[in-house]
Amino acid sequence: MILFAFLAQTIRIAIPYLFAAAGGVAAERSGVVSLALEGFMLTGAFTAALGSFYSGRPWIGVLCGIAGGIVLGALHAIASIRYRADQVVSSIAINLLAIGVTRFFLHLAFDSSSNSPRLPGFSANVAGEGLFLGLLHNPLIPIGLLAIPAVAWVVYRTPFGLRLRAVGEHPEAAASLGVPVRRVRYIAVLLSGALAGLGGAYLALDQHQFTDGMSAGRGFIALAAIIFGRWDPMRAGLACLLFAAAETLQIQLQGTQAIASQFVQMIPYVLTIVALAGVVGKATPPAALGRAE
Amino acid sequence: MQPPRRARLWLSTLFHIALLTACGGGTSPAKHAAADSTTFKVALLTPGPISDHAWNAGAYEGLMRIRDSLGAHTSYIQVKTPADFEENFRQYGAQGYDLVFGHGFEFQDAASRVGPEYPKTIYITTSGNRVGKNVAPMVFGFEEPSYLAGIIAGTLSKTRVVGVIGGTELPPVKSSFLAFEAGVHAVDPNVKVLTSYIGGWNDASAGKEQALAQIQRGADIIFQNADAAGLGIFQAAKERKGVYIFGSNSNQNGIAPDITIGSVVIDLPHAFLTVAREVKAGQFTSHVLYLGSQTDVVKLVLNPELRRLITPTLQARLDTTQHAIEEGKIRPPRIEFVDTTAAR
Repeated sequence: MILFAFLAQTIRIAIPYLFAAAGGVAAERSGVVSLALEGFMLTGAFTAALGSFYSGRPWIGVLCGIAGGIVLGALHAIASIRYRADQVVSSIAINLLAIGVTRFFLHLAFDSSSNSPRLPGFSANVAGEGLFLGLLHNPLIPIGLLAIPAVAWVVYRTPFGLRLRAVGEHPEAAASLGVPVRRVRYIAVLLSGALAGLGGAYLALDQHQFTDGMSAGRGFIALAAIIFGRWDPMRAGLACLLFAAAETLQIQLQGTQAIASQFVQMIPYVLTIVALAGVVGKATPPAALGRAE
Repeated sequence: MQPPRRARLWLSTLFHIALLTACGGGTSPAKHAAADSTTFKVALLTPGPISDHAWNAGAYEGLMRIRDSLGAHTSYIQVKTPADFEENFRQYGAQGYDLVFGHGFEFQDAASRVGPEYPKTIYITTSGNRVGKNVAPMVFGFEEPSYLAGIIAGTLSKTRVVGVIGGTELPPVKSSFLAFEAGVHAVDPNVKVLTSYIGGWNDASAGKEQALAQIQRGADIIFQNADAAGLGIFQAAKERKGVYIFGSNSNQNGIAPDITIGSVVIDLPHAFLTVAREVKAGQFTSHVLYLGSQTDVVKLVLNPELRRLITPTLQARLDTTQHAIEEGKIRPPRIEFVDTTAAR
């Protein structure tokens, strides 16, 4: 019972990471830095809340969340692909933009600087029995679990995936073989925006509310999972689950009062640092990552 | 490779929009001092958004009441990072403000450092712990209504497990939780009290998961003090049958009227106005401003929609306990976090 509850909570916490990491892997493998996942996610959460609130239908919210992520993804793509701007700088600008824009429109739409009113959303049924079936009450949970395998399939099993990897490793060679480097990268970055936006939609719809800054660093954790997973979609997905399990452990340990809360709260961060500091071995990013063609 | 000029232009435009909007929340004073030097000028620094229905909202309401009742010129800033605390205190001191509130324990150090530089400005921190010549903390007897809430929780819990969830382990929060726990145990020492801290005040999803974990461990009444992150705790309780919440700081009974038994409220506007009145009249002397339940600043406000849960027997017990507290016969535990060594 405790184990089931632990697993169910791990999955709930992992869903936003999984969405963002799935998108981020695609973008990074095409050679575009994905530091902006956080901004995509926050924007997606906000637009999802708007869509669900005004239409009264959570599914419209989901679509709006995807759209919001795509719009910011497009900004990042234009800056870093068309104008060949420094991708790290562009990402940081996108993240700041997302914080400001969501706060501004939150005030405009709901006359509040901290949260939206309650809105229609999805709730996993977390009650006692049938914990795993209960998770299906929130349709974004199964979709989130499928996002990583879907991206893995596209990256490794489709002609587009082959081009994507080629573009990320050696854009000049890919271009000489007639691969449209820019178009492939645009698609990858827009996809990362859409998926991270979905992750944001999950946050807002699960909470039935948008709260200011609700992504709370989850986009960065997803990026850490990508690096931890050595830019492989499945491994990145496992890393997401591992980080989520660490957080669940933190939450569950607090209830026992066995250890000081400050110490317990360190666990996820310590794990991240230890993981990134080389337990996983040498992490080699795609050769053309961060480089314009 | 040097990015082409257009790229730089695009980036810099993006950056400026981002910075403008990101800082739009108000790192610069909302209003500049257009008033002359004789006007009573009061400023407020809050650590979070003033529309949080809780800690910060109450402070802003207090500032507005000072403006309306005392005709003060007011200004307010939401401070982003601890690094900005001192800067903003200094700015108001330099602009000749008479009274500056730093709204929270965390403003304490900055206030005692800046205070001596601007001796004409009085710096008050809400639930701080150090007294200087022109620096003083307001301390709330939050423990008293928390103890009463604990008595209700100890009586009503069916599972005999209750929980407390805080944002971070600040001394006033911890102190209030200890008093709640004492109230629970005054009713029945066998009731288990779970304690969790979210590790922040803004992440509603994290708050929700903490609450779900406590509920899964059997808690059916949760006393929360977590500002915006606390909204996730209300959401968790809504999703589970038979779980009730106590709110904190502001009257949160309206957030989820069907599951909120009551709120432990600090009447911040009342407290702010009381202090401002003293300062304006020139009667202010620096000391720890202790505001307990006798002053009506802190109280337990029950939610009328769930009034049926409070049986006459329970109500009678609450009344006698309240009297006993006022007479000093019951002293809810309290972490003494007041440090009377003068500020440098």
